[in-house]
Amino acid sequence: MEALQAFKTIKKNTFFDKLDPRTRFFLSAALAAVAIISQKLLTQSVVLLSVLIVASAAKRGRTLLKSIRGSLILLSMIFTLNFIFSPSVQGAISALTMTLRFMSLIASFALFFNSTSPEEIAIAIEEVGAPRDLSLLMNMSFRFVPTLAGDIQIVMDALRSRGLELERGKLLTRIRNYVYLLVPLIIFEVRRSMMIAEAIEARGYGLDVKPTRLVSLKFSWKDYLVIVSTLLGTFLLYFSGFL
Amino acid sequence: MNEEAERIIEVEEVFFEYPDGVQALRGVTTHVARGEIVALMGENGAGKTTLIKHFNGLLKPTRGTVKVKGRDTRRVSVAELSKTVGIVFQNPDHQLFAETVFDEVAFPLRNFGFPEDVVERRVKWALNILELYQYRDRSPFLLSVGERKRLAIASILAYDPEVIVLDEPTAGQDYLQKEKISEIIKLLRLMGKTIVIVTHDVEFVVTYVQRIIVMSQGRIIAEGPPSEVLTDFATLRRSKLLPPQCVRIARALYGKTVLSDYRYLTVDELHRKIFEELR
Amino acid sequence: MREKLVELRGVSYKYPDTETFTLRDISLEGYRDELILLIGPSGCGKSTLARIFNGLIPNFYGGTLLGDIDIAGYDPRKTPTAKFAKIVGFVFQNPENQLFFNSVERELAFGLENLGVPPSEIRERVEAALREYGIEDLRSRSPFELSSGQQQKVALASVMIMQPQILILDEPTANLDPLSALKILGLIAKKTREYRMLTILIEHRLEIALQFASRVVVMQEGRIIADGPPLETVLEAEYIVGAPAIIQLIKRARASGLPLNPARLIPESLAVEVTRRMREMRRYE
Repeated sequence: MEALQAFKTIKKNTFFDKLDPRTRFFLSAALAAVAIISQKLLTQSVVLLSVLIVASAAKRGRTLLKSIRGSLILLSMIFTLNFIFSPSVQGAISALTMTLRFMSLIASFALFFNSTSPEEIAIAIEEVGAPRDLSLLMNMSFRFVPTLAGDIQIVMDALRSRGLELERGKLLTRIRNYVYLLVPLIIFEVRRSMMIAEAIEARGYGLDVKPTRLVSLKFSWKDYLVIVSTLLGTFLLYFSGFL
Repeated sequence: MNEEAERIIEVEEVFFEYPDGVQALRGVTTHVARGEIVALMGENGAGKTTLIKHFNGLLKPTRGTVKVKGRDTRRVSVAELSKTVGIVFQNPDHQLFAETVFDEVAFPLRNFGFPEDVVERRVKWALNILELYQYRDRSPFLLSVGERKRLAIASILAYDPEVIVLDEPTAGQDYLQKEKISEIIKLLRLMGKTIVIVTHDVEFVVTYVQRIIVMSQGRIIAEGPPSEVLTDFATLRRSKLLPPQCVRIARALYGKTVLSDYRYLTVDELHRKIFEELR
Repeated sequence: MREKLVELRGVSYKYPDTETFTLRDISLEGYRDELILLIGPSGCGKSTLARIFNGLIPNFYGGTLLGDIDIAGYDPRKTPTAKFAKIVGFVFQNPENQLFFNSVERELAFGLENLGVPPSEIRERVEAALREYGIEDLRSRSPFELSSGQQQKVALASVMIMQPQILILDEPTANLDPLSALKILGLIAKKTREYRMLTILIEHRLEIALQFASRVVVMQEGRIIADGPPLETVLEAEYIVGAPAIIQLIKRARASGLPLNPARLIPESLAVEVTRRMREMRRYE
């Protein structure tokens, strides 16, 4: 649970936050790519260190460390499973490499999601040319998550008030009882989605003109700087044989 | 009102905080006596729904106690408390799932472990009272909005709880549907039930309600009979309620010194008074 | 000379896969500068009729739509819903289901984006709307953080920003407390006058809504059974739509020989009228 906290979006006032979301995505993706490709322990350490450096520059060092601490169980499982299959010094090194790789992956994507709101992601999706339906879907999914959570609670309350036991009893009975929630919930949400659909059409969606956008993304010198530095860093690693 | 009437629900200095930190109840103390009809009113977010959820244990107080028939709600399960306090939530569509109207009403009875012949009897009885018997084999989803609302009430009535709580029974209902709900409440009263109505329909509570509890921002800000509460303009304003139209008319006439008092809740009363003053 | 904006003649409609007609032989005219209160028991067809005005029927719902229909020159059978969005604004009952974004700003912009309005103009109009509706400090809030009254205000603003000539509202105050309901209906009435629109309002709470109507249309079982000035029409249809206290009082006063004709159907106006009549009566004593 604690690990997921790092994925929540909190905007801060740093150089990193002011970058175009596409640039941030490129940076996170590049770090993740290097982590995936590289087989060397040293490179993995460099990647992880880079992520942490970027994170602290973005004032998110502590958040990331918390997320890593939260995923320690998962990480130790990865290490143990890999080590078991080749219990030797070599095995330990490759297990450690694998573990660090995961840490880097988690950290680099946490960094992206922590600094980029769903709206920004949706705009970026539109900007790279994906169909508008996709970005609308993205926006609405995030928008309705709390609403859906609320509905689940209401359905639970209503059924519990009619004697449905969800607190105690045998596990199997409890699971079967939870299934009772599904029918009203699904029907309710399907109805809701119909109402949303008609409201969207009533707002002019799907008109035969080219839709415009209030906010569009523009690259600035900061973005070019980061993109070029990332590319340089990656090529450096490649040509010095560390990849 | 008999002072000795058993307090079927007791709320003592209750505080409640939601997991996200919202303080929904800040020191609420009140009670509901057996056989009473009480209205719980106030603006959206005042804590009305939060409070009634304490009556059947869906929520347990962060501080303070809630007792139902003398038992602390912390010690009893929701299913057990629901046998005494039946809550009919606002939107029936949040709970409908059965294949037939009959099964829908039978659901709580079966959950409580009643034998099938008792279930059959009780369901028939409840459906008849709410004029839904002819739909017993139909799918609940094919009923009209008003019928689904009555179905939700039937489902609770069937297992005969002593206290029935209605959460916004008249919200979104048309005139004829509201009349029907008034009749149902009258009937419940004749059956000796204790009724709690959560509402902000001031016109609706004028007739049958004996006591009104007004809440605002997690606290009770007024409590009393309709003639007192519904004529207290300041309190009503604080909880985003409007006085019944009758009272507003009486007040306007009082302001023009046509009337010497403005506390008239029904058109009958008001009409009589106006013509008295005109002579 | 009143400007007619909508005309329906002999309109009937039936939903797909049903046998009964939900609307039967509806004839109605709507003019600029009108606020029509559309009332009737649940299931009478009000919401169905409302959806003809912005093309949702028949485009979204399908079904069979018969009769002559002219909505500001358009026929919903020949025009897609999206095109109606330029002239007809629709505010739905549940604010939750008509706010799609996590910021009020984006919500306001959405309709204009769909219409292809240039970004700089969108920016201007969004700023103006935030000011006009007093929701500037709600700019970046998500709908979940707003009260239902605020949500409906945002919904209204998001629709009004598209500058419709016709505004339809389907039970907009259903989830609101009485004071918020009164405020938002007052706002709607104000905007109707300001922008000279034709507004059609579906509402059950007559004690709050009636005062804002310039005309009342009553429906029952798919037909229009009454159409006229608020006081008389509600009296006519009292047995199916109920009459708020003010109407009942006027009716009884008339029966007792005291004709009351307040300027507006609000307590204050009635008091003025009663005082006036009293003075008249005293003069004859």
